Amino acid sequence: MKRNAHVRGTGAALPLVAGTLRTARTFGVRRAAGARGAPVTVAAAVALGAAVVLGAASPAAAQTYAIRGGTVHTLAGEPFVGTVVIRDGRIAAAGPDMEAPAGAEVVDAAGRHVYPGLFDAVSRLGLTEIGAVGVTNDAREQGGFNPHLQAATAIHPASELIPVARANGIAATLSAPQGGAVAGQASLVGLDGWTVEEMLIDPGAAMVVNYPSLAGGFRDRREWSERRERYDEAVARLDEWLDAARDYQRAVEAGAAARRDLKLEAAAQILDGGMPVLLAANGDRDIRNAVEWARGRGLDFAVAGGRGAWKIADWLAERDVPVILGPTQSMPTGPDESYAEAYANPGRLHAAGVRIAFATFTAADSRTLPYEAAQAVPYGLPRGAALAAITKNAAEMLGFDDRLGTLQEGRIANVIVTDGDPLAIRTRVTELFILGRRVSTDNRHRSLYERYRARPGRRVPR
Amino acid sequence: MKNRAPALLAGLALAPATLDAQPRPARPDVPGLYAIANARVVTVSGDTLENGTVVMEEGLITAVGAGVDVPAGARVIDGTGRTVYPGLIDALTTLGHGQEPEPGAAAPGGGGGDGGRPHAWGPEDRPGTTTWLTAADDLDAGDERFARWREAGFTSVVSTRHEGLAPGQAAVLNLGSFERPRELVVAGPVAMRVNLQDRSRTYSGFPGSAMGVFAYLKQLYYDAAHHGDVWADYEEAPRGRRRPEWDGALEPIRRQLDEGWPVLFPASSRSDVVRALATTAEMGVRPVVYGAHGAWEAADLLAAGGAPVLVSLDWPAPPRDRDPDEVPALAELRRYDRAPTTPAALAAAGVPFAFYAGGLDDPSEALPAVRRAVAQGLSADDAVRALTLSAAEIFGVDDRLGSIETGKIANLIVTGGDLLDEGAAVETVFVDGERFETAGAPDASAEEDGDGGEGGSEPRHRTGPAGDPAAPPVPLAADRGPYRDDPVTFIAGATLLTASRGTIENGDVLVRDGRIAAVGTGLEPPPGATVVDAAGQYVTPGIIDAHSHLAALSINEGSVNVSSMVTIEDVIRPEDVGMYRALAGGVTTINVLHGSANPVGGGNAVLKLRWGADAGGLLLGAHPGIKFARGENTTRDRNPDRYPGSRMGVQDVIRQAFLDAGAYLAEWDAYRAGDGLRPAPRRDLKLERLGEVLRGERWVHAHSYRGDEILQLLRLAEEFGFTIRTLQHVLEGYKVADEIAAHGAGASTFSDWWAYKVEAFDAIPHNAALMTERGVLVSINSDSGEEIRHLNQEAAKTMKWGGLDEEAALRLVTLNPAMQLGIDDRVGSLDEGKDADLTIWEGHPLSMFGKPVQTYVDGKLYFDVELDRGRQAAIEAEKQAHLAKLGLRPKAEEDR
Repeated sequence: MKRNAHVRGTGAALPLVAGTLRTARTFGVRRAAGARGAPVTVAAAVALGAAVVLGAASPAAAQTYAIRGGTVHTLAGEPFVGTVVIRDGRIAAAGPDMEAPAGAEVVDAAGRHVYPGLFDAVSRLGLTEIGAVGVTNDAREQGGFNPHLQAATAIHPASELIPVARANGIAATLSAPQGGAVAGQASLVGLDGWTVEEMLIDPGAAMVVNYPSLAGGFRDRREWSERRERYDEAVARLDEWLDAARDYQRAVEAGAAARRDLKLEAAAQILDGGMPVLLAANGDRDIRNAVEWARGRGLDFAVAGGRGAWKIADWLAERDVPVILGPTQSMPTGPDESYAEAYANPGRLHAAGVRIAFATFTAADSRTLPYEAAQAVPYGLPRGAALAAITKNAAEMLGFDDRLGTLQEGRIANVIVTDGDPLAIRTRVTELFILGRRVSTDNRHRSLYERYRARPGRRVPR
Repeated sequence: MKNRAPALLAGLALAPATLDAQPRPARPDVPGLYAIANARVVTVSGDTLENGTVVMEEGLITAVGAGVDVPAGARVIDGTGRTVYPGLIDALTTLGHGQEPEPGAAAPGGGGGDGGRPHAWGPEDRPGTTTWLTAADDLDAGDERFARWREAGFTSVVSTRHEGLAPGQAAVLNLGSFERPRELVVAGPVAMRVNLQDRSRTYSGFPGSAMGVFAYLKQLYYDAAHHGDVWADYEEAPRGRRRPEWDGALEPIRRQLDEGWPVLFPASSRSDVVRALATTAEMGVRPVVYGAHGAWEAADLLAAGGAPVLVSLDWPAPPRDRDPDEVPALAELRRYDRAPTTPAALAAAGVPFAFYAGGLDDPSEALPAVRRAVAQGLSADDAVRALTLSAAEIFGVDDRLGSIETGKIANLIVTGGDLLDEGAAVETVFVDGERFETAGAPDASAEEDGDGGEGGSEPRHRTGPAGDPAAPPVPLAADRGPYRDDPVTFIAGATLLTASRGTIENGDVLVRDGRIAAVGTGLEPPPGATVVDAAGQYVTPGIIDAHSHLAALSINEGSVNVSSMVTIEDVIRPEDVGMYRALAGGVTTINVLHGSANPVGGGNAVLKLRWGADAGGLLLGAHPGIKFARGENTTRDRNPDRYPGSRMGVQDVIRQAFLDAGAYLAEWDAYRAGDGLRPAPRRDLKLERLGEVLRGERWVHAHSYRGDEILQLLRLAEEFGFTIRTLQHVLEGYKVADEIAAHGAGASTFSDWWAYKVEAFDAIPHNAALMTERGVLVSINSDSGEEIRHLNQEAAKTMKWGGLDEEAALRLVTLNPAMQLGIDDRVGSLDEGKDADLTIWEGHPLSMFGKPVQTYVDGKLYFDVELDRGRQAAIEAEKQAHLAKLGLRPKAEEDR
């Protein structure tokens, strides 16, 4: 049962706001709430003000589609030429030699390819519009400990950046807050909807924890002992918060909590693996420290960032630590590192057996997600692994692979039709289905292009 | 320069009144008559006497020799078992002037917006300049360092003030007793010191960058020469003429230029030395380089440039409180290892050099540091000379100091053994014939209990040398330079994307003497050619980036709205590994531009990526350019407020700058057309470069985003009769493409960045294609050390967004930027006769899967994907060797 849909009182002191909650259809069951002893709270839903009613509000989602004749890459088996049927927002069927169901709108994909929609594992889509204009940036809140804040509260469904990302095949993302030690909850959204409610798959899909770093930053003139001291203090603070959350949880369960504390209530969700943690860390030492800490606290987590992960690839593989990688097209971690360090990082992790996914951690550049994966291919990452790392891997890491990531029956219908490999620059996305709805690839860029291309004017021959 | 009235000279020399106001004290007693007999005498200038005598009288050396008679009445010191040396000279100190101003302390005449500090709006405000101050004046009587330095064997120092960019004149001081401060001065101004960083910054504003500092120093010296000329001219016939403006900061420099004293100029690395030599040549003064920890790799340049060197004895070492897991960068490790080899390298190259204690708090650490240089190959004689006579020679006082010769000042030290032996103690010091016993004297040492004397130094923040100081330096990995330099290379059987005439399948390229000798199919490799089998691979011209900020010490001189006095050429940084990383992305030429902080920026530098070459060797020789900027970067809030704050003001600033430049040109034209009887107008670097724009001798590369501001700039240029060469970024260029084409400007844009600013919110990835369609010459640039590594992909995006064909897409990063920079006769396409700048790719370069496997510049192999691994391994091995030598924890094996 989905946490925020499972409205169970966690104590007498906890006033339910059931009036604002609807337990209407949600997509799938992430994991049984009781199965892992996960605490169940309503914090996530309260923060959002409404539970998820994905798809129900959108008439288009009721439409049945049959995408026919394309090469179907389900990411759950070998590709085949066949049909994908979308009904009620989900993949109803996918296979060769299938008839389109009666009443289905047939989409001719002959000569084209059908893939799961691409998944930008961490982005700021909807949370920011124009980088330099502070008031259009809602990804970062004040204070260092904001586990109760949810990205979905601030996601702007009319952001011009969303259709731009979508036009290159990005169908879903974890839109994540940033800053502080605990930035808040990342929300899992499909990139289409008149309202955020129509976009939401899971408002509290993961908790963003920026594990303290021992690395001296740019222009960091502090001496080592001071850096070390600050680090120890930061880790101690993080531990204190989790301890407090645990105490609070017990108090609530015992009916002894004096009053409701939204922060602790939310923080308690990550205890015992109840909500996965996006554990931000980049340097190899920072990753090790973060991983050891998170394992010690019994958290369910994926490392987010991972620039230096290749240096400890075997260590990560032994512990089955998944890594959500930032841009492959980034600079080496030091002046003496190989030019190709970042390019080779994904391939090395993959070869060592580490599960990887890609993320842009941006909004405006989310459309370049497939290129971040493709960049790793000439430097050792197999193409298939690259594709998996921008479709299904993150869903598996964070526990929503029963809903997203492949073209298997029952999955949310995020589907793209292309004229080639999504990893290739020249490939175009010709059809887009998000949350079962057929979505146009139009966007601000195309309309500006068409408008100014049509500008009458004097052409000067060169 | 014209002759001046002698009367004027005399007056100017005294300009700022800084003479001691105290009455001259009575001289207490005449220095005694001393003779040191039966000692080993190291004269430095001549032979060492194994059993000699030195006689001192009235503060001078009156006799030196083996059989010298000891005059009657002399106090005789038995020198048996002792060695006498000339007193040591610390060649660069701040002794007597140690008080730094409070950071941010208000200077007179303040009123800027930055915490009350005065704001410098340009070179004319003389920021950080106190050239009139001489270290001979206003000696701080409370400076306890005089005694400590003397205690360590130093009898003379060269002293300067050190705050500011041009803090003043150096003087030579004797470290005698301080009752007679004026008598300590051995020589008045002997050099003018300059700094490249102003740690005190008692002002805000200009210069705000390394570029600005170089421009400032040049302008300061031009101005000084000019000031002398106009005043001399005025003095000849003042009647009926308006007098020139007086500038007290310039007169001391004018005197320096006339008298020929050197400038003390900081430099450590090889590229610092290149900059020091080039800048001082423009300033018109002899350089004495100080610092010099990296001069081991620049001895040839220093020898050729005739620049003496002051080597700091404060050898670099890892900090004590360091991150135990952090491996310092190779450049840092090399500094630790190689700095003490600098003196030997300078000696071998015949470069005169002297030592200075530098940042050492404790002068008694100086001799151990010299011993380290000796352990690293410096001869003992050269070491002693560098501590004595060489310093005197560099500052022109070798007629009175630096050796034990009759007639020289009686500055001597007596030691218990060889000065360079471990544990050798300075026992007695004579300064001006005055005797000082030290803690190292046999009598004193018992009492002192080995405490090291007063003012013991703080624990050092750096580790000392580890292990055997005589261990040879770690061999240098070959981390720069071309992998191969074959006279003839034959690339066989590749798909050639020529960028000028389509694709040639199964084509060959013949490279001879750095040029493309032949391009075609079925060519035969000439005998002796190095044959590269490129079957299945692709060859393109080397990628050209029309907008880069690699390889520069600084990017923006944003303190002023017109900074055309600065240029990237002054601050080229050949050590930037970003260039090698760009080569690994197939790039061979970059246009390094000033940033976009102000409407008129500075000069550019078009570089070929000849990784390992000095600054001069990187320059391609392109037509000069200058950066302009429009829009948000120029108008956003700055502290203090700097005009302009709107696009209206940007237009105004540029227009006014060109009006000024036009007037400047007219002034020079009138001068050149005149009778030559009047002095030349002031040379103004700022207006000179803008004048070059007006005359078509310098091209404008203009940062711009919005369509309207692009149009305004085009119209402004047309108003002044020149053409904007390129619009940079030009993200809304597609909105005014026809106007750009009609004006004739090129456009250099991003592939798909957008939304980071309001003015980037209408950026579209179709921009390059749409402008191309409308007849604009378009390129795609990086403006980024990362993006530059895959410009081929960025070009390929225009095939998806806007539908360019392969050749048109490739041209965006090859031939088109070459045309924009006016270097298409040299580079940009695979055509016979052009420079052999080319890249071999595995996988199609206009895709995500094209990977550079080789990059050639001038036919030399600068990147090779296989050979790179060996280089990377060699770098790693060298680092591990350094760590082992330093006793630092090598990186654990499991980490790799």
